[in-house]
Amino acid sequence: MKNIVIGRYIPGDSFLYRMDPRTKIITLLILMVATFLIDDFTRMIGALGVISVLLIIGKIGIKRIYLGLRPLMFLLLFTFSFQIFFNTQGDIVYDQVVYYSWGNLLAITFVVLFWFFTKRFTKFKLAYFLITVALVFYIFGYINIGDAFSTGTLAIHEEGLNMAFFIMMRLIIIVTLSTILTITTKPTDLNLGLEHVLKPLKIIKVNTEEIAMIIAISLRYIPTLLDEANKIMLAQASRGVDFSEGKLKDKVVQIVSLLVPMFIISFKRSDELANAMEARSFVPGQFRTKLHQLTWTALDTVAITVSSIVMMISLALRIM
Amino acid sequence: MGIKFNRVDYKYQGIDNKGYLALSDVSLNIDSVGEFITLIGETGSGKSTLVQHMNALLLPTEGSVDIFGIKVHKDVKKDKKIKLNPIRKQVGLVFQFPEYQLFEDTVLKDIIFGPKNFGVPQEEAIKKAKEMIKVVGLDESYLERSPFNLSGGEKKRVSIAGILAMEPDILILDEPTSGLDPVGRDELLKVFHDIHLKLNKTVIIITHDMNTVYEYAKRVLVMREGTLVYDGDPLKLFSRKNIEAWNLDVPDILTLIHKVEETYDVSFDRLPRNKAALAKMIQEVLV
Repeated sequence: MKNIVIGRYIPGDSFLYRMDPRTKIITLLILMVATFLIDDFTRMIGALGVISVLLIIGKIGIKRIYLGLRPLMFLLLFTFSFQIFFNTQGDIVYDQVVYYSWGNLLAITFVVLFWFFTKRFTKFKLAYFLITVALVFYIFGYINIGDAFSTGTLAIHEEGLNMAFFIMMRLIIIVTLSTILTITTKPTDLNLGLEHVLKPLKIIKVNTEEIAMIIAISLRYIPTLLDEANKIMLAQASRGVDFSEGKLKDKVVQIVSLLVPMFIISFKRSDELANAMEARSFVPGQFRTKLHQLTWTALDTVAITVSSIVMMISLALRIM
Repeated sequence: MGIKFNRVDYKYQGIDNKGYLALSDVSLNIDSVGEFITLIGETGSGKSTLVQHMNALLLPTEGSVDIFGIKVHKDVKKDKKIKLNPIRKQVGLVFQFPEYQLFEDTVLKDIIFGPKNFGVPQEEAIKKAKEMIKVVGLDESYLERSPFNLSGGEKKRVSIAGILAMEPDILILDEPTSGLDPVGRDELLKVFHDIHLKLNKTVIIITHDMNTVYEYAKRVLVMREGTLVYDGDPLKLFSRKNIEAWNLDVPDILTLIHKVEETYDVSFDRLPRNKAALAKMIQEVLV
């Protein structure tokens, strides 16, 4: 539970930290749009280069980004392979006869089971998984144990390869950009910035302050609730609940014993919070002054300008 | 046998990789029978962290804790042969806030939850629950009520009954009397003292009440900033000059005695441990 990286602020010092949160949110949006406009291989690599430069001069470790991407690894792999194998548009770049035989199926079952039971002993889980997948394809394509009762073709199409590449790149870039935003911006600043950015929505009667307040409170309570969950787990463990093992039936009881106190404590806390806010004269929708005033500096102007230019270029290249 | 701390350190992980040292170099021995220990110290001094090591809820980051012959250290979970769960039956720990553990729809179900987890048959667990609800000063009608509609003090009693029903060899209570009225507090302390006297069990109580320490404890542990600064007799502790530096104060009876000694220039040859003993001394003088 302590390894949640998405949305975590990490103290540091670089121009990214000094930027106004409004700027960061707007630039994030502009750059995201720019990423979606790119549809050329070299330009996409270029975009990746720009992001890398941003990381280097912004003094953000690549490890942080990797930790942010890791929860999405499965999604990335899934979309990638889905596009490669099931997109049938464009020319065939590669094809391979696959043999379906009982021997092969048996061998593959064995490989998958072997992977399933040994994966916990290795540190390089992803690499191990990829090796297993490669082995499965190798068996299907090049080995024919026993007589094949059916053959098929595995074809990779040009469009599939393209789509796979672009979707993956876009996802990586977007997640990297948002990770940069959350790493360099304190949740309170992020919220303040969001409140300002959402302001135009007030014209269509959206209560932006309340939305901002809800987001601020939720962000504030994530660590508190994790802490509470941990305490509940300890209290139940001291009554013999073993969270690390147990059958499915036991698991249900374990989860209930964790969730019920969790809900009750959350409701109690939110009730107390509401009272505390009212005691300090909080009235929803009332005009409030801010303790922290956002200041717009030259750096922000430069950032907005540069990112707008980047978007213009990618738009122009797209249209041309 | 019992619990033995060997130079235990415990570090809480922080956001920055520094962490916070909650226990530092703690060594102590607790017998499995016949002890009545109070654990005191200012808030944040590591009392709760210390007791959570006693039933292997927390694992030391350095050093080890021997609990009934099982050596608990930081890598103990890697050894699949060692089961930590049975330790929690032998060493029962009642948490400070009952809200963290009550979850069933009736008090009865909540009390038998612990015993059932340790394999006690349903009927036997229910029998235990009926017995323990009386021990903590509630009656059997409470068993069918919802734990969430009880008052704070009643919840506390139910959570204590839930641990007592597990019949642990060592009973640890983290501030069992906080949130109780004075009468309820005295009642419960008597209950714990009775458990100690009748069954000769070791009882460990975390408290901020010096009167409790002075009246009941055979032994007192004082924590300060993660280290164990005192381990021994309560009377000797309160005769020390510098206990204010540990954010402790002198129990009422001793304050009264000091005042009498100071005002009338007399000295007490023996010190009474409770009000009854003091009353008897006064009576001896007066009559």
